Amino acid sequence: MKHILTLAVILLFSFVSFAQDRTVSGTVTDENNSPMPGVNIIIKGTSDGTTTDIDGNYKVNVGQESVLRFSFIGYSTVEYPVNSRSVLDVQLEPNFESLSEVVVVGYGSTTKKELTGAVVKVDGSKIEERNVPRIDQALQGQLAGVKISTNSGAPGGSSNISIRGVSTNGNNSPLIVVDGIIYEADGLNALNPNDVESINVLKDGTAGIYGVRAANGVIIIETKKGKKNTKPSLNFSGYYGVQRTAKKLDLLNATEYAILKNEAFVAGNQTPPFNNTNLGEGTDWQDLVFRDAPIQNYNLSVSGGTDKTTYNVGGSYFGQEGIVGGEKAFFERYNARVNFTTEILPKLKLTNVLLYTNEYSKTIPQGGIGSVLYNATNAYPTEPLRTDGRYSYLINVADIINPVAQLENTYNDTRVNKLVGKQELTYDITDKLSANARIGYTYSLVDFKQFNPLVWYGNGKNQNSAINENLDPRTTLIGEQVGGVLLERGASVTESRTTYLDYLFEGFVNYETQIGSLHNIKSTVGLSLNETSFQSLSGTAFNIPNNSLDLADISTNQAVSGYLNQVSSGQNVDRLNSLFLRGEYDYGKKYLFSGIIRRDGSTRFGSNNRFGYFGSLSGAWVLSDESFFNVDAIDFAKLRVSHGWSGNDRIQPYVYRANLGGEAQYVFDNTIVNGVAIGIAPNPSLQWESTQQSNIGLDLSLFNSIDIGANYFIKTTQNLLIQAQASAILGTYGPGSAPPFVNAGTVQNRGVELDFNYEFRPTDDFSLNVNYNFTYLQNEVTELPAGTDFLPGVGFGVGGNTATRFEAGFPVGYFIGFETDGIWQTAEEIASSPVVQPEAQPGDLKFVDQNGDGVISFGDNSDRTMLGSPNPDFIMGLNLNARFKGFDLTANITSVIGNEIIRNYERQQPYANQLAYNINRWTGEGSTNEYPRLTTGRTRNNEFSDFYVEDGSFVRVRNIQVGYNLPSNICERMNMTSMRIYIGSLNPFTLTKYMGYDPDISSANPLARGVDYGQYPQAKSLMGGFNIKF
Amino acid sequence: MRLYNKIFIFFILLSGGVIFNACDDRLDLEPLYAQDADSYFNTPEDYNRALIGAYDLMQTSYLNLWIGEIASDNAIAGGESVNDTQGLHEIESMTHNAVNNELRSVFQFNYAGVTRTNYLFINQDNIDFAGKEVLFGEAHFLRAYYYFQLVKYFGDVPLIIDRFLGADEVNTIGRTPAAEVYAQIESDLLQASESLEWTVSVEGRVTKGAALALLGRVYLYQDKFQEASEVLERVIMEGPYSLITTTTSEEYADLFSVNQEGNSESVFEIQYSGQEGGSYDCIVCLEGFAAVGFQGIRQYDGPVYGDGNSYNLPTADLYNAFDAADIRQDGTVLNLDEFISEQPNPDEISYAIGGGGHTGFYNNKYIKRLDELGLPDTDLTSPVNYRLIRLPDVYLMAAEAFNRKAGPEDAKALGYLNDVRERVGMPTLNLAGAQLTEAIWNERRLELSGEGFRFWDLVRTGRAAEEIDGFVAGRHELFPIPQIEIDLAGGNWDQNPNY
Repeated sequence: MKHILTLAVILLFSFVSFAQDRTVSGTVTDENNSPMPGVNIIIKGTSDGTTTDIDGNYKVNVGQESVLRFSFIGYSTVEYPVNSRSVLDVQLEPNFESLSEVVVVGYGSTTKKELTGAVVKVDGSKIEERNVPRIDQALQGQLAGVKISTNSGAPGGSSNISIRGVSTNGNNSPLIVVDGIIYEADGLNALNPNDVESINVLKDGTAGIYGVRAANGVIIIETKKGKKNTKPSLNFSGYYGVQRTAKKLDLLNATEYAILKNEAFVAGNQTPPFNNTNLGEGTDWQDLVFRDAPIQNYNLSVSGGTDKTTYNVGGSYFGQEGIVGGEKAFFERYNARVNFTTEILPKLKLTNVLLYTNEYSKTIPQGGIGSVLYNATNAYPTEPLRTDGRYSYLINVADIINPVAQLENTYNDTRVNKLVGKQELTYDITDKLSANARIGYTYSLVDFKQFNPLVWYGNGKNQNSAINENLDPRTTLIGEQVGGVLLERGASVTESRTTYLDYLFEGFVNYETQIGSLHNIKSTVGLSLNETSFQSLSGTAFNIPNNSLDLADISTNQAVSGYLNQVSSGQNVDRLNSLFLRGEYDYGKKYLFSGIIRRDGSTRFGSNNRFGYFGSLSGAWVLSDESFFNVDAIDFAKLRVSHGWSGNDRIQPYVYRANLGGEAQYVFDNTIVNGVAIGIAPNPSLQWESTQQSNIGLDLSLFNSIDIGANYFIKTTQNLLIQAQASAILGTYGPGSAPPFVNAGTVQNRGVELDFNYEFRPTDDFSLNVNYNFTYLQNEVTELPAGTDFLPGVGFGVGGNTATRFEAGFPVGYFIGFETDGIWQTAEEIASSPVVQPEAQPGDLKFVDQNGDGVISFGDNSDRTMLGSPNPDFIMGLNLNARFKGFDLTANITSVIGNEIIRNYERQQPYANQLAYNINRWTGEGSTNEYPRLTTGRTRNNEFSDFYVEDGSFVRVRNIQVGYNLPSNICERMNMTSMRIYIGSLNPFTLTKYMGYDPDISSANPLARGVDYGQYPQAKSLMGGFNIKF
Repeated sequence: MRLYNKIFIFFILLSGGVIFNACDDRLDLEPLYAQDADSYFNTPEDYNRALIGAYDLMQTSYLNLWIGEIASDNAIAGGESVNDTQGLHEIESMTHNAVNNELRSVFQFNYAGVTRTNYLFINQDNIDFAGKEVLFGEAHFLRAYYYFQLVKYFGDVPLIIDRFLGADEVNTIGRTPAAEVYAQIESDLLQASESLEWTVSVEGRVTKGAALALLGRVYLYQDKFQEASEVLERVIMEGPYSLITTTTSEEYADLFSVNQEGNSESVFEIQYSGQEGGSYDCIVCLEGFAAVGFQGIRQYDGPVYGDGNSYNLPTADLYNAFDAADIRQDGTVLNLDEFISEQPNPDEISYAIGGGGHTGFYNNKYIKRLDELGLPDTDLTSPVNYRLIRLPDVYLMAAEAFNRKAGPEDAKALGYLNDVRERVGMPTLNLAGAQLTEAIWNERRLELSGEGFRFWDLVRTGRAAEEIDGFVAGRHELFPIPQIEIDLAGGNWDQNPNY
């Protein structure tokens, strides 16, 4: 197996020795002893050299001290001193570096050559070069089949990770395992991308080794470790950058606004509000909330090892402010990490991993009605920022407040202290047998604090907590039956602490043997015990003195007898018991087979359905090792097939049994009284969501420089854990009550994936790496429970109808609404049309009569049709690394093609500002067939239709970086091993037709993924950085 | 492999297996600090708390208020746009059919209420305690109320009594004929009226008067005039209620204020509180009366009233139905521009017109007022109670029952009618027979409009087709069963006629 850069040299010594300038000659052959033409031969330190002829022979003039360097694409470069030789024959070994790469597959590892499943790997260097705060962001566009989309571009914002498509209406998150410790996707903020050694993604059925949690794939992250027998090496790196919004919406300025509003009011039979429309540009609210914000990151680490121990110890700082909200949208992380392994006894190794993280973050309202950006885009430009010395009220719009005032009044912070650790004992009992026992644990404290000052945003604003401009507090009379107390309800503070404690105990034995020279057997057997738990306590106190942030603490509250102050608590424990067995057999590394069985028991289900069995079968055939295989261009070819069963148990705890979790509140004696009601209806027979996946794959290495991995898969998820709609007569639609979770419905994902990697290194001075990946995915709900036509998703606009659905025959979360066919141009056209569209007027959108009954029905679904899908057809990533002498260039480009987005951030209010496309509105016959008229009156133009659906495809340059490595002689003089400095930019360019801030949007709700609520956009940034090794 | 290694491995595997088997027990976790629904009902307080859960669904009465007005000639839906609570716009124009979120909510909420009362009845015999009869009397009332809502909207509905329906039974259960549902409602209300007291020490709990008055209304909806006249007269004669005389529109409107809650005209009110904040994400979770804020004046900035969402806007037809001398005209309907023009600084008062429609009128009985704000979001948390049964309604129902029963007692009927009129300063009438019937019906509109009764009155008296634009006789008397409910019940239910 250890054939990394092995080399065989045949040296024929000559006893003749020359003084200077003589000739050396020889033949260069390949691994099959065939002569190699065209091999580059250079005399080291000079530009002199030659190439081999057609028979692999060469002849070159050399000096006594000369060193010859032999290089050929796809073969390992070798160097030989000439010494006194006159004949130097050389055999080159193919460079199969990529094939011997170690791939982690869960409770063990294998090589890329021997792999039977669809597992892909990214090196830590590819993560590090992205300069992003979160590992999931760094995975964007790196791997085929792994789609990372952004839930929020705010500092500390999360991503939506889906591997091979969205497979359920419930939780789609993959399992994340860091050094053997289970992580939740939302905990990824705690990890520093610079600490990553490699990321391995188990995409197909072979993920079944993780059983019940493997249905959405498994991401295995290994952190950096030291190497044995290496001197201490100190690594210091960092960057500093400035971020800026990549885009501002094209909104109406004050003059355009006034003209358009006058027109709309007249059309609505109201008095036009502006006598003078010549108002200039007015206020650009976006300018007022967007700002340049810093981002910075510094890492320091030491690694090395002796023959008994290795260590890698480091610390890091990351800090980012938001392009909206600045320091009020903030994320900061301090990390300390120790990886330490030591042989405490011969053959007994102890591995310690300890990771401490301190996070500090602040957030602003984002993503929808009430968010800062929503307010900034809908605030009207005729209002100045300030009126009479205070923030202006934007009194003409409901629910929309002055976004600058809003930012000023937002105070919250979250502090996370998290310790993740692992102690692992590995006992190499014999060469063939080893045993592992490890305990992993995560302990985290999450402290949240929020101050809600008394605020007044203007009359009628829902966000007001005071009753008037003087910031007088609201008062509430309670206990009037017993005399009554009039209570102030002033500024409030909410504080909460949640403590998470997870532990994992795992023991497993690996056995590996060879029978004869060709039969290889490997097996892994083990068990895993897991517990996750949390406890939380939170409190809210009213009447903070002086409405002051400085006094904002529960301890300072002035509330009479503590009335109205509220406390609550929560807790839960979940456990998982697992046994697993993996057996592998191969015949001469040519025919490989692997089988996995796993038994899981989860507390999420009742005792009758608590245990489940999962597993996979996979095989591979290394075609290129067959004697009949004789294609020169193909160095390596392997066919893989796998089929697996895995599960998903991610639902709320105890939904299998009847709990009194419903809301039961009523009012007696003018006081709210609490009772009980059944919460989520029980389903004692609830069980796993189950996924079956078939994968067929091909791995190829061509021309010693190209690696291709291709997969076709069909993934079918059945018995979805969904809260299907239930008949109302079951009585489950009261407050806090809900229909039972049931196992019903089927989702199928099919796709093709391609990973392509090209290495080009013609000389020492120049190298090029091109990585391209491609995913084609088809997503379809194929079955729903009987009686359920669809599961409704999210609504459009305010109080509008459901715009997205989970429905058989369609992709998950597809959009449904009215198809338009231009604009009604004249009253005659409406009158003479064979299709009656109620309330239609010239200038209105013309809807298509889908069911052909001659009437557009707004009251039912008969004329609504599919308008788009949040699921792209294609996802692509292109990653380039080029190096020339000391310079290097890195570029990462991602692309999502064929999805749609619902534009859902326009508030349909008479005075709300509007996007500039409205300038092209219909103003009379023939003016436009695209944009409807404007009116404040009744109109059906706000019905959800394809007018609000946009193409969400985009191509984005995620990262571009130019670096320079200081020459080694300069580094030496400065006592450094190496030093690299670079400048880079994140998200510098995006090519898209999408009108909104950012086409890369998503949501944790599978049915809201394609709906843009004015999401916090990702910043573009310019940064400079360095990386120094001592 | 040396022997001790083999022993070591054997030991590891053995101990692993032993640990594991023992450890399967560690999966038998019980939820922490949670009460189990199957082993509940052990103390009197347990029953009381479950009863509170059953009361909770009464707070969905905002839909009842809206649909009862918007479906009639009294009001339009209003709101921010025609898509804002679209189901109400369809009901307004009588274009509603089987896909309608608001009608589905009515179906869901009332069955949730039924189920929560059945939860009590299923566990009725666990323990005995003092006050149990009264407690179950309340439960009988609540179940009757929820079924009355269902039968009123949808006609024949599955009748599920004293049990939980199994998920597998849903496909086999049919729609129970309305007459049987009504029989159950009557039976529940009779039991409630026998168990309950005229007065209670806790404001908000059901009384004997509430049960009898609701029973009277249930009889009236079935044209059982004799029975109706008897129970309604009992409420008037035996109940601790008296009519309140008002002399101005302001005084009349004030009858619907927080201050007047539980006054002598109040027979039963659905209770609300402004002490808990609210969110649009869960209207059914609110403790405040959503109708009040929603019916507030859109973006209104001025005295007396708060701003709201311009829902359920009275029509000119309603406003003009009043005699100009009737204090109830401006007490019931706010003529907004007129009101503003009468204020000291009318130019400083502003409001907006919603895209969902504008009539110039607002519901002045249930409207957000500056002195009645709940906690934020104030559109959702009005503390104003919904007057489900007012004494004037009881008088007018009694009047109708005496007038229309076999062997009419018109003198009595006229007396009750005139009592209602006199208390608002309107001249007494002297009519009999069909003329008296018409007068009573008309009086019902004048006295009760804006409260969610008009549509049902028009339907039960057969006048809906002549009064409501778009109303098709033989179709619109009932609302359609939500299509999804038919599907979820296995597709075996017939839809209501002509939908």
